[in-house]
Amino acid sequence: MNTLDEALLAAHLAGDNETLVGLYRAAGEAVLARDEVQGCFYLTHAYVFALEAGMAEAEELRAVLVARGREA
Amino acid sequence: MTTANSDLSDVMQPVARAKGLPNAHYIDPAAFDEERKSVLFANWSGVGFAKDVPNEGDAMPVDFLGVPLLILRDHDGAVRVYQNTCRHRGMILVDEPRNIRGTIRCPYHSWCYGLDGQLRSTPHVGGPGQNIHEDIKRNELGLFEMRSHVWLGVVFVNVSAAAPDFDVVHADLIARWSEFDKPLYHSGADSSFKLDVACNWKLAVENYCESYHLPWVHPGLNSYSRLEDHYNIEENGRYSGQGTLVYRQLEGEDGKVFPDFEGVSDKWDTGAEYITVFPNVLLGVHRDHTFAIVLEPKEQGKTQEHVEIFYATEAAIGDGFSATRAKNTAQWEEVFKEDIFVVEGMQRGRLGPLFDGGKFSPAMDGATHVFHEWVAQSLSAGRQIAAE
Ligand code: FES
Ligand SMILES: [Fe+2]
Repeated sequence: MNTLDEALLAAHLAGDNETLVGLYRAAGEAVLARDEVQGCFYLTHAYVFALEAGMAEAEELRAVLVARGREA
Repeated sequence: MTTANSDLSDVMQPVARAKGLPNAHYIDPAAFDEERKSVLFANWSGVGFAKDVPNEGDAMPVDFLGVPLLILRDHDGAVRVYQNTCRHRGMILVDEPRNIRGTIRCPYHSWCYGLDGQLRSTPHVGGPGQNIHEDIKRNELGLFEMRSHVWLGVVFVNVSAAAPDFDVVHADLIARWSEFDKPLYHSGADSSFKLDVACNWKLAVENYCESYHLPWVHPGLNSYSRLEDHYNIEENGRYSGQGTLVYRQLEGEDGKVFPDFEGVSDKWDTGAEYITVFPNVLLGVHRDHTFAIVLEPKEQGKTQEHVEIFYATEAAIGDGFSATRAKNTAQWEEVFKEDIFVVEGMQRGRLGPLFDGGKFSPAMDGATHVFHEWVAQSLSAGRQIAAE
């Protein structure tokens, strides 16, 4: 987990949304099956950074969250 | 506010008998607060320039008399002005000019707003990983949009939201200058400058409106732009300024002049006009360029003048004209700088308690009087609302 935290921190500092989306998405997908709350927490972050940057991926991420009753 | 209102009755008299606005309107903080609300917020004030947000998603924060605004260019290419305040906990949304690629993400808890102001996401608002909550109704929590209007490159805002539409208020002026109501071209830093002046914002308007001072304050200008070649523009209750009949186009080294506005009529061959869009925007139009000065009242006795020069054609902002543009900018900057000592001097003069607003020349000061009367009318309207 340590290296993920470091990578996230670096991307946050750099304002690098593309990397943030990739990291949060991967983290979310990795835990989603066993921990829905933790998974959706990460996917929410991926979604927000994708939305901010106007990335097409935002729609996919939104759909995952909507399907779980966690986004409108 | 407990300060007694200033007496405006003398200001409302016809020019031959009128006095100027009382000293309080230049030196008393209570009067500044009153003008902020009744004059600058109640009407259509200039807050910036559309050229500062040229591309979709460009966003520029502006502080207008303490009100945080966000000027941005939306997906349809329209300029919109929002209050730059998050609907959640009131955080400032955008701190410096930048391009918004997708949505505006609040830096505090990451609520996201579209360029259309709609609230698009509310992360964790219902607990971790839960982004919806029955009490968070996104359709009711979009950004507050200010009423705005773009004309001749200037972004105008009506903070109170109670004024009639811009094109109703300024219908006559828009018609008068319809020949210049076309795409304007701005070349960037070489046609842009700011001047800080130690005076109340109104003094900059008053000085701009009249030609009486030209031979004394701008002797260089007067050599080709004589007093008798000027006329007063006095439209009571609407706008005022001055015009010249002897405008001469600037020539570059090679004798080349800037291209004209397409289809501009003969009237403007040697004509030019300088008008204040009340309250705080000074405009000038010529056959080949326009300029706009937005007066930003910083404090009662401090004003920043934001000056931008616009050209009639794309060619005029190209490399072929860069030297001529530099000359034009330098010429205007010199003229506007020549005015600084008088507006600052008038500010200091108003500390003299015996000054009574002054005596207008009915022949030469009509345009200034039209402005004062308009300010007094706005103040009176504000006082009436306060009394109700
Ligand atoms: S203040 Fe903007 S999201 Fe909380
Ligand atoms: Fe002047």
